[in-house]
Amino acid sequence: MNSFEITRTGTYLTVQDFGRFHYQHLGISPSGAMDHRIPLALETIITHHGNQFLEFAYVGPSLKITKGAIKACVGGECKIFVQKQNNTQIEHKPYTSINLFEGDELTILNTIDSVYGYIAIENGLGLQPCLGSFATDTKAQIGSISRPLQIGDIFNIEDKVSTWDIEFNNKIIIEKQSNFNVSPGPQMNFFSDEAIHQLVSTPYIITSQSDRMGLRLKGEPLISDRTHDILSEGILPGSIQVPTNGQPIVLLRDIPCTGGYPKIALLAHEDISKIAQLPPGSTVTFDL
Amino acid sequence: MFFKGINHYGDRGLIIDFGDESSQEISKKINQTFSFIQELKLPLLNITPSFNKIVLHFKTVENKDKSLKFLENQIQKFQPIENSSKTKIWKIPACYEDPFALDMENIQKIHNITKKDVIDLHTKTIFYTYYIGFMPGFPYLGEVPSSLVTPRLKSPRVQIPARSVGIAKEHTCIYPKVSPGGWNIIAQVPFDIFDIDHPRASLFLPGDKVQFYAVTLSEFENIQKKKLSLQELIKKYSQ
Repeated sequence: MNSFEITRTGTYLTVQDFGRFHYQHLGISPSGAMDHRIPLALETIITHHGNQFLEFAYVGPSLKITKGAIKACVGGECKIFVQKQNNTQIEHKPYTSINLFEGDELTILNTIDSVYGYIAIENGLGLQPCLGSFATDTKAQIGSISRPLQIGDIFNIEDKVSTWDIEFNNKIIIEKQSNFNVSPGPQMNFFSDEAIHQLVSTPYIITSQSDRMGLRLKGEPLISDRTHDILSEGILPGSIQVPTNGQPIVLLRDIPCTGGYPKIALLAHEDISKIAQLPPGSTVTFDL
Repeated sequence: MFFKGINHYGDRGLIIDFGDESSQEISKKINQTFSFIQELKLPLLNITPSFNKIVLHFKTVENKDKSLKFLENQIQKFQPIENSSKTKIWKIPACYEDPFALDMENIQKIHNITKKDVIDLHTKTIFYTYYIGFMPGFPYLGEVPSSLVTPRLKSPRVQIPARSVGIAKEHTCIYPKVSPGGWNIIAQVPFDIFDIDHPRASLFLPGDKVQFYAVTLSEFENIQKKKLSLQELIKKYSQ
């Protein structure tokens, strides 16, 4: 066995995969990686990731190899350094495999013009799935590790790395997008034509009260003609719900399984990954 | 037809609409339809029932487009028939005393009734489990007697203790874990109601009947000490 220890958590370090499904009727949300594109891109370099990725937001973690050797790869826009035991520091690039040996410390600095970054480890993180998934929902306390990772957490990784050759993929482009096509939400008819026009013609700003559950937007209030308090009903990721104050919330991965706010519109599934990468302060626009 | 229609919910979703009202009769149809759809083995990621809707989440856009006709045909042929042999009847201990009953005084004030009235009203009612939602294992139970119907707190609590029993409008609930929330808290139960290591996971499932009974603080502590497993709870508190 090889092992590494978390020596710095950065912000919001969790284990994620592509989501936990078939349990929403028991109150368990899909969760999973905020940006599916990056773990998928990492798969082209680290093939045996075991569907166990480390996700961080804004500031990356540090991992120190405590035993043996580990092959890792980082995805996202960020600076990556490895501190060797002899105190030399080597910079690495995203989407390029990194061979880490006992005593080496991998540090990822902040994400650039984006929010989420990921680390894949050859042979995974040595975890057991929880209800068929490795994803973490920290609010619901569900997951292989049901909380954000902490300093001192140790992962034991299986041996048998097939090749230590440096592998890279320089064809990866993670597109940036801030204009999104939406489809009508189940309660779009609660809103006047004017309110709907507002949604698609005026910009909305992503506020700092945004997290894995959703993005709280700020802009022209969208007031329902009927009510902002419906009987709770099932929610799909990507829904744009509008509470009483008229400021829309785009629901992302750790969604409430059911909710009682009208949903004016819905993002296409693929766009959830894209909007999740826009940092607070970014402007978004919608088209219908 | 026993439902109003099937509507689109984005590129991968459908909503089966049972109208705007909520009743136990509608809920029973929903829960029967939920089981029926589960057996159709459609390429779905999730099926989420609630008071008057069932939301279907398909794996891909193509999966949804291909399944829609089949679903429409099958559901036309389906007749929801109540099958109460699958559901459980629960008698659940709850302590309505001071450290737990955070909003007891507020509820007494609103309805101008005594604490004994609140406890009597809440324990005499046999509640029906509409569905599990909001957070893992959180049951929506109803209906609360009209003299206990209370609006949500104007400003939700940042932290409600795990196992708290709450009232919001005509529904009552138990919070499985610590959570923010706006329900009026009147009691606490002495055990966990959700365990992912048990195949049932949630103590309560849709259609279950739930009746509370009041226990003293020392009775509460005695039960709490036993740390009963979900299997033991099923044996001890349900029929």
